[in-house]
Amino acid sequence: MATAVSARSLTKRFGRREVLHGIDFEVEPGTVFGVIGPNGAGKTTTMRCLLDIIRPSGGEIRVLGIDPRLGGPGLRRRIGYLPGELFLEGRVTGRKLLAHYQAISGPIPPGRIDSLAERLGLDLDRHTRQLSKGNKQKLGLVQAFMHQPELLVLDEPTSGLDPLVQQEFHAMVREAKHRGQTIFLSSHVLSEVQQTADTVAILRDGRIITVESVEGLREGAVRHVRFTTHGIPAPDAVALLSGVPGIGQVEVLEEDGSVTLSATLEGAIQPLVRMLGSLELTDLVLDEPDLEEAVLKMYSGQPEDAR
Amino acid sequence: MTTLPLFRRAFLDTWRSTLGWAAGLAAACFLYLPLYPSLGGSAEMQDMVNALPPEMTKALNYDQIATGPGYAQATLYGLLGFMLMTIASVAWGAAAVGGDEESGQLELTLAHGVTRGQVVLERALALFLRVVLLAALVCALVWLLNGPAQLDIKLDNLLGATVLFAGLALLSGTAALCVGTVTGRRTYGLAAGATVAVLGYVFNAVGRQSKEVEWLLELSPYHWAYGNSPVANGADWAAAAWLWGISAALVAVAAVALERRDVGA
Repeated sequence: MATAVSARSLTKRFGRREVLHGIDFEVEPGTVFGVIGPNGAGKTTTMRCLLDIIRPSGGEIRVLGIDPRLGGPGLRRRIGYLPGELFLEGRVTGRKLLAHYQAISGPIPPGRIDSLAERLGLDLDRHTRQLSKGNKQKLGLVQAFMHQPELLVLDEPTSGLDPLVQQEFHAMVREAKHRGQTIFLSSHVLSEVQQTADTVAILRDGRIITVESVEGLREGAVRHVRFTTHGIPAPDAVALLSGVPGIGQVEVLEEDGSVTLSATLEGAIQPLVRMLGSLELTDLVLDEPDLEEAVLKMYSGQPEDAR
Repeated sequence: MTTLPLFRRAFLDTWRSTLGWAAGLAAACFLYLPLYPSLGGSAEMQDMVNALPPEMTKALNYDQIATGPGYAQATLYGLLGFMLMTIASVAWGAAAVGGDEESGQLELTLAHGVTRGQVVLERALALFLRVVLLAALVCALVWLLNGPAQLDIKLDNLLGATVLFAGLALLSGTAALCVGTVTGRRTYGLAAGATVAVLGYVFNAVGRQSKEVEWLLELSPYHWAYGNSPVANGADWAAAAWLWGISAALVAVAAVALERRDVGA
């Protein structure tokens, strides 16, 4: 099956400044692809290239099998786009604005706009410039989703939304995915995409550092472990723990009577569990893997070994 | 599918502004024209105009205000009406694409099922239509006041002058649209439109002063349009063709320019 979106050696220069240094990725149809990276990493530039709002300096892009430079209006009708910064001015109501966008995009099932607005809690009869940032964002989401496009390109879709609406948005993304739509979205934090994304690409300084499934990220991420045991001297406990593969940063927190140790774990948990089974534990905490930390490490450019 | 969706939005969403300019132009008609019998046509007024420095009379085109058509030409078409129409047209032209890009809204429009050429052409069409509507309104009001104000303007001269009146405003407006589109900045568009209008007016005023600087008149769109006082003497149709033709060419340049560049970058 053809990919929904693909980029090969995509570069973009603005004048002498190169902001994309040849990025490659592929998005399978019917999946959710998240791009994360700090501000200025090139997320918005990449998305604008997909919509032919800006033109690549080099490389090749295919969106729904077509080069966006040549796809024209026909291709863009099959895409729903939410820009990173949404500006909606003018003295029109949300309803009228959506009617305008409806006139220049694909056909919309009857009642679709109202049901989307209701889900997001958006009043369509207010003038757009009176809307708060969050409500403008909702209007932008309705606009992107309303014609049920084959591909959704959403730049920081949850920015400005309160947590309840974010949940609703995640539900909308999942439904779109089940309907077979492909979703390409971006964020500067992983937590916003990890709930919905199948695959995550991490972008930094115009380069893709890694493309990984959320599962893969989780496996590679660091967990914190802390346990308390007794009947064993602290140095022996430290030696046992340090022998487990993937363990690092061992610290002794307490050693009078009972021994409390903390450490980090990268990779599989089975060897650790086996080792812990040989101890008399009074307390054990094994944290959720901290994906955010793993990603931040990548942002800051520390080498990710064994990848 | 709606036909010309971008044109409709550009035209209908600015109806307040269109109405405002229409009110301003109507006020200009009702203020100036009924005064003709007591001002322009009177002997005292002619004496006063004769007493003015001749350079000033020429600059303001007041050398012709002793007749009804000349009065309408100099005061309404040549001065206040020209100003109002130009400002309206330049403001709309600069906002059409450059302003829309600067405010960040063009990006979303272009992400939909439209071509860039279509965006420029439909919005230019909205500009043309609004300017034509305003010119038609002025034409109708002048015709309405023609009898009561004893202006004695001939209908075909009035229609010809209306075509030039609209063409002159469109030239500045499309210059604003073109530069705004090429640069993506509303301010540059405004500056370009204002420059065309002001230089045109100044070149006319200065060029009329003496033989040595007469060549300036050739560079003045204002003089192309009004050099022979169309309200009094009928339109110079070649001038009208130039004004409308250059305006259309500026729109075409804008359409091609937008097609070729990054937006919002």
